[in-house]
Amino acid sequence: MAGKLPNYLRAHRKRAGLSQAEVARLLGCRDGAKVSRYEHFRREPTLRTALTCEMIFQKPVRDLFAGISEQVERDARRRAKFLARRIAARTQSPAVVRKIVVLRGIADPPPEDLRYEPVKEV
Amino acid sequence: MTRGARTTQRMLAIDPTPRGFGFVVLEGPNRLVDWGVKDVRTNKEAATLKKVHELIGLYRPDVLVTEDCDDRSSRRGPRVQALIRKLQAEAARLNVKSRPVSIWRAHAAFAITGKANKYRIAEAICGRFPELALRRPRLRKPWMSEDERQAVFDAVTFGLTQLVHLRGS
Repeated sequence: MAGKLPNYLRAHRKRAGLSQAEVARLLGCRDGAKVSRYEHFRREPTLRTALTCEMIFQKPVRDLFAGISEQVERDARRRAKFLARRIAARTQSPAVVRKIVVLRGIADPPPEDLRYEPVKEV
Repeated sequence: MTRGARTTQRMLAIDPTPRGFGFVVLEGPNRLVDWGVKDVRTNKEAATLKKVHELIGLYRPDVLVTEDCDDRSSRRGPRVQALIRKLQAEAARLNVKSRPVSIWRAHAAFAITGKANKYRIAEAICGRFPELALRRPRLRKPWMSEDERQAVFDAVTFGLTQLVHLRGS
């Protein structure tokens, strides 16, 4: 696939049966123009807007903004790999080793099914 | 590419109508990304091409699915036939593969579940995508012309048929 779309707000809005003006109202905007810009990928939402969208559509931010989320993850991994390499070139103290382990964990995360998930309290 | 990856490609399906066209964007068989009817009243060919161009620019699909006008089961008029060919040419120009789906193949794909006419197929589609239920046209009587919202369901039919063809089941 040509990669995920930056966001899936339009699909979720239509699924919920809401108009752009109504979503704008929920987001605290004056009219639907801003929502239209989000839906046409011409503008990226602020953290506040993204969290409000999560609340409105009852979907996690990383699903609503799948493309942006993927890109952010890719960039952070690349930076972590670079930083780990740079730190590894320095002296090896326990603190540095710990940092490298953390950075390598960011750069090459385990497969989805092996990731740590907190145990739910009954 | 693996078979699984091929079935999750993004797909834009278009179904022209006398007054515009219906479209859907699918990501795999269970994810409907966008859908709707675009109204085109004047300068139909140029306006339709412009709107499809915008949709391709926005969603960057891997495949454009349209009706196969060359198939014997197609009952499209010359205007729509020419328009569909131009849409396919436009898709090729934008590096989007185009996949024509014949009406016969679409109906055969849905006939497996005993849904062979447009109304029954729309019913089956609403079962898969409940968000389309509000747009489902009423059962058409012989004296009624086709509801323009039917174009959305026809586009979904073509898209899902293409996915069935990719999966080989």
